[in-house]
Amino acid sequence: MNFKMRNWVLGSAVALLAGTASAAGTLIYCSEGSPTGFDPSRQVTGTDFDASAETMFNRLVEFAPGSTQIRPGLAEKWEVSADNLTYTFTLRKGVKFHTTSYFKPTREFNADDVVFTFKRLTDKNFPFNKAAPSDFPYASDMAMDTNLVAIEKVDPYTVRMKLKAVDAAFLQNLAMSFASIHSAEYAEGLLKAGKAANINTQPIGTGPFVFRSFQKDANIRYDANKDFWRKGDVKLDKLIFAITPDASVRYQKLQKGECHVMAYPKPADLKAMQTNPKLNVPSQPAFNTGWLSYNVSRKPFDKLEVRQALDMAINKKAIIDAVFQGAAQPATNPMPPTQWSYNKTLKDAPMDVEKAKALLKKAGIAEGTEITLWAMPVQRPYNPNAKLMAEMIQNDWAKIGIKAKIVTYEWGEYIKRAKAGEHDTMLIGWTGDNGDPDNWLGVNLGCEAVGGNNYARWCNKEFDDLIVKGRSTTNQAERVKLYEKAQTIFKREVPWTTIAHSTVYQPMRKEVQGFKISPFGLNSFYGVSLK
Amino acid sequence: MSTPSNLTAADQAANAAALSYPSPLKEFWQSFSANRGALIALIFFAALVLAAILAGVLAPHSPTEQYREHLLTPPAWVQGGSLQFLLGTDELGRDILSRLMHGARLSLMIGVVSVVLSMLPGIVLGLLAAFYPTWLGNGIMRAMDIMLALPSLLLAVAVVAVLGPGLVNTMLAIAIVSLPSYVRLARASAMTELNKDYVVASQLAGAGKLRLMFNTVLPNCMAPLIVQGTLGFSSAILDAAALGFLGLGAQPPLPEWGTMLASARDYIDSAWWVVTMPGLTILFTVIALNLLGDGLRDALDPKLKKLA
Repeated sequence: MNFKMRNWVLGSAVALLAGTASAAGTLIYCSEGSPTGFDPSRQVTGTDFDASAETMFNRLVEFAPGSTQIRPGLAEKWEVSADNLTYTFTLRKGVKFHTTSYFKPTREFNADDVVFTFKRLTDKNFPFNKAAPSDFPYASDMAMDTNLVAIEKVDPYTVRMKLKAVDAAFLQNLAMSFASIHSAEYAEGLLKAGKAANINTQPIGTGPFVFRSFQKDANIRYDANKDFWRKGDVKLDKLIFAITPDASVRYQKLQKGECHVMAYPKPADLKAMQTNPKLNVPSQPAFNTGWLSYNVSRKPFDKLEVRQALDMAINKKAIIDAVFQGAAQPATNPMPPTQWSYNKTLKDAPMDVEKAKALLKKAGIAEGTEITLWAMPVQRPYNPNAKLMAEMIQNDWAKIGIKAKIVTYEWGEYIKRAKAGEHDTMLIGWTGDNGDPDNWLGVNLGCEAVGGNNYARWCNKEFDDLIVKGRSTTNQAERVKLYEKAQTIFKREVPWTTIAHSTVYQPMRKEVQGFKISPFGLNSFYGVSLK
Repeated sequence: MSTPSNLTAADQAANAAALSYPSPLKEFWQSFSANRGALIALIFFAALVLAAILAGVLAPHSPTEQYREHLLTPPAWVQGGSLQFLLGTDELGRDILSRLMHGARLSLMIGVVSVVLSMLPGIVLGLLAAFYPTWLGNGIMRAMDIMLALPSLLLAVAVVAVLGPGLVNTMLAIAIVSLPSYVRLARASAMTELNKDYVVASQLAGAGKLRLMFNTVLPNCMAPLIVQGTLGFSSAILDAAALGFLGLGAQPPLPEWGTMLASARDYIDSAWWVVTMPGLTILFTVIALNLLGDGLRDALDPKLKKLA
């Protein structure tokens, strides 16, 4: 691997020297890690989606670059029935799947591909799923496996989908990475050849870039898709992901021109980046929230006074200065202010050590009580340094007589144990997926999500009724009212201490044009060019 | 043999004075202090011990107090620094000098405890292996070979992974990892001693096994063991720092040197002092201990001693 890496570094250096002079069509992106595969249906992380869904695939509808609004994708238009349960999509004509060394398409994109994609996501007994067994975590999180009851091909360019219950966010969900459209023809060929698992290693999509090669922990190479259906969106000739897990190394490479765009800068480096004349560092308030969950299923966090006391002892301002280096805004609600239905009237309880002590006393908590405080081991967009944040909270809590022990596990283990409810309090966060309020309140605080993403294990009947009602209503004005009320209950019951909405910075070299920061934390290279 | 009888009493007294050796301690000090590097190391180490013991009095601040309006203050002699924080503050506004002084306590304690924890069982096992060389000795030595076959840090990480991260487990892990070197050293030197006449003599005089082991043989094997202990002290500090760096050693907010180094890594470009200060402290301490160990070896090993 080392040898390969070195070869590659040399190669790219040579390519760069040659490239800067003549055809400047190769963009190198320093990404943060290797994807686990290239089949977006089964992936869950941004690292995976950047490498597959964002580069090589399209959805029926898609998020407009840099926005949470949807626009037509592979579906040119759609109609929704009066009862909001039937969606009829008219598909785009003339869309070609990728031609690669392992697949030559004989037909253009049509309704069969859509039916294949969604059957695969929703039907466990679908032949392809038996040949290549997999979970589709996102599809089930979005309740697509239970709610999407029928997918029919009406004619080659019309597809009809039927829902069991009204889902106000259904179209938004279809724009998410997991709903990327696969080629039914390619899948059939794989199935016949007995190589169904290859769908995860040799991807075929309709997107702006075509897969060429992948070396784990080294690089991913793509060629531009010259037949891309949205003309003018592919301005590059080649796209390379240089996989560089260390943020300092990514920055060094960016400085030296070994890559053009880098993922996830360290907050501590931002000041230097902004003053570097060769770099552009556009930024945008991110569509995320970082918070501290109190596990209400364990004592003493079932007591409201305890949660309130711990909440008001935390100095948010100091955390934002030290952990985010100021690149964040304090969070009051579970969702960021850019999400519609954000309740502007809510306020944080003011920081008050004396009152917190009194509340603890009232709840019968002795001084010196020991609790655990979990801090994740990885850098996330909503929390660049959880350990540091945990040390600050530990110090704040020590002032009210609570001894917190900081606990951390490897990331996968962390999530697994947290879902099992082994923590007292834990740091976690969320980046919005689809721009719908239910994606914040339902997924992270609903009763159904206990044992899943609801790490507070907080199930409040009053709150849950409101969000269930919100999900099955399509009238936006009414939904706003329901969600605003739900947030009021959230703030009253304090299952979390909301900490921050970070600001996303995307450092890139000056010659990169047209890069748009995605609110969902994904990196896509539509319409990007090099000067 | 006849003794010369024609010498006067005065002559005899003069001869005795000329032939009498200096006391062992004095002799040791003479040859030790001839080594300038070792002497400097000793002074540095003494200062460190003093700083560690008196950290509560000498340290200007509490090691865990976060001065949140003074995040990442540079050292006093750099522009922007202040005399309030001589070596600057870290990412949470904690005084680095105070943390280093309190950290010295931890590091020295880790060193002492893990050396003692590995030296004592190491000596016992080594002596047993030397006295019962057939089955017991073979068993012990093969077990030690297995431990030596694993890279020491990897073994320490494995031990901590099993026991769970924390200061006590770190010391245990380091002690376990450094056990083989003491066992082998004790066994080797005991075996050379075993064949010597004085051991046979005391055996003939009726000394039991235990007496032979600990009263007769052991004192004559101590010199290399002391040297190894000093060197082990420095590697214990280094290993503890490595484990702390990997997040497996002392847990926050304890100011352990390796942990300080690990959390400072993010600021290496923007605030050099946060990573440099604990790094230099570890470096100097380990160098000092190694020089000290060298000096001790030179002074204790009769073969290396200058012929007077």
